[in-house]
Amino acid sequence: MRVLVVEAPGGLSGAIAAELATSHEVRLFGASPDLPTGLEGADERLQRGVSRTVGSLLEAADAWQAVRHIDAVVHPGQMPALAPGGDAQVLEWYTRGTHVLLKAAVEAGVRRVVLGSTLDLFGAYPEDVYITEQWRPRPGTGVAQLAPYLAEQVCREFARDYRLTATVLRLGRLVLEEEVAGAPPDLMWLDRRDAARAFAVALQRDHADAVHWTTRWQFLHVCADIPNPRYLIDAMRRTGWVPQHNFAAAWGGPAEAAGR
Amino acid sequence: MKKKVLFLGASGLIGPYVTPGLEADYDLILTDVKPHPLGVPVRQVDIRSYAQVLEAARGADAIANFTVVRGDPTDSFLVNTLGAWNVARAAVELGIRKIVHTGPQSVRPAYEHEFGLDEAPGAPGSGYYGVTKWLGREICRTWAENCGLQIISFVFAGLGPSPEGLQVKEDIPFFRVVWEDLQHACRLALELETVPGGFQEFNLFSYPANGKYTLDKARRILGFEPTRRWEEYFRRPAGARPVSEAVG
Repeated sequence: MRVLVVEAPGGLSGAIAAELATSHEVRLFGASPDLPTGLEGADERLQRGVSRTVGSLLEAADAWQAVRHIDAVVHPGQMPALAPGGDAQVLEWYTRGTHVLLKAAVEAGVRRVVLGSTLDLFGAYPEDVYITEQWRPRPGTGVAQLAPYLAEQVCREFARDYRLTATVLRLGRLVLEEEVAGAPPDLMWLDRRDAARAFAVALQRDHADAVHWTTRWQFLHVCADIPNPRYLIDAMRRTGWVPQHNFAAAWGGPAEAAGR
Repeated sequence: MKKKVLFLGASGLIGPYVTPGLEADYDLILTDVKPHPLGVPVRQVDIRSYAQVLEAARGADAIANFTVVRGDPTDSFLVNTLGAWNVARAAVELGIRKIVHTGPQSVRPAYEHEFGLDEAPGAPGSGYYGVTKWLGREICRTWAENCGLQIISFVFAGLGPSPEGLQVKEDIPFFRVVWEDLQHACRLALELETVPGGFQEFNLFSYPANGKYTLDKARRILGFEPTRRWEEYFRRPAGARPVSEAVG
């Protein structure tokens, strides 16, 4: 497939591009002409499979250009740069920007989209409940939670209206396992490499021809597999995704080892 | 002393018909980005600007947001979505608890063939008007749940004047609210002390007779009833002879 990957900070879009490049043609889309592909130093053949297109998610013409001849879109859902316009600009990027992208995508015949969101939407629930995709998101008023939640709402309406497989990955807190060694453990940790693999796996969903929009649309919660999880990831595991980095040093081993 | 209500969108498609019914009971601060169609003085306030909304809301006891942009790819978001966010933020910053929010209904056409609908989950669709107003609604709900705002949201399918005279061979406009009823609903909303859950949305209309949509929730929470039995204007004369007999 030819896959568009929207830029994201912290190396996420590069990690996704690198993960996808082994099997797909990848086009990175973002404001920076120097977007890391994640393949720096990698095999030249792989590097040739990743291109860049520069533009803004808020410009319809840029989005139109970005989705030319694209089969699928991966939008990590993480605003890449500081917003000089403050929270208003952040909100606009997540709401209007997502709409601009998806409108261009469906008009170009794209049939699969994977949107990144955040497990932070469930932070308001008490610690003693297991959270799955069946729980209602409860974003706070800060844009860090509100904006991704609203982006989900936009994506949902496109899944409702169009023959589009739309998968939302609610991601845990993105880190690299080795970089948080010794830090207080976090129930939401998700290694960036596992996140990239989750996007690659989610991209395999294809229900664009499903009659019921509720089949076209799906949420999946994604975080590490730890002994006493708060966020249950069984739905994501059923896709075949298996997290490789489970912060055993912090939690004392994966769930299987704990006999869960 | 009358409550002071900041009315955003006073010059639009709804404001000029609603505000006259509120003037006797409230001290209205009429605002919009364009002149009032009847020449009523309005203060220039652009809901896209937080600074303008904040300044206009100073001293108000409540905010009524009747602004809308229906089809512009950019302004639909800036007015309908970020505008709602500006209103909620200003309310919290100024200690204003009550907001009356408005938007289009989001249950048609998803439930077009259903009956007895009172509180169906919204299905706004991806069009600019529907989705941006839906996002504004979600912003209102989030801010109400987190910050103690008391927000009533009225959503409509059609609005207009009350019928005059018998409407012969006309079906009841089942999802339409007449101006008198909207004014009445706004008064009820502004006076409601506690909104259950902080945020409640009402599909508002004046003609419940055919049972397609119900007013049960509006009755229960707001005490709303249409100000007249408007369906009477659409009553078919009983016992009328078939046309073929009538024309002999």
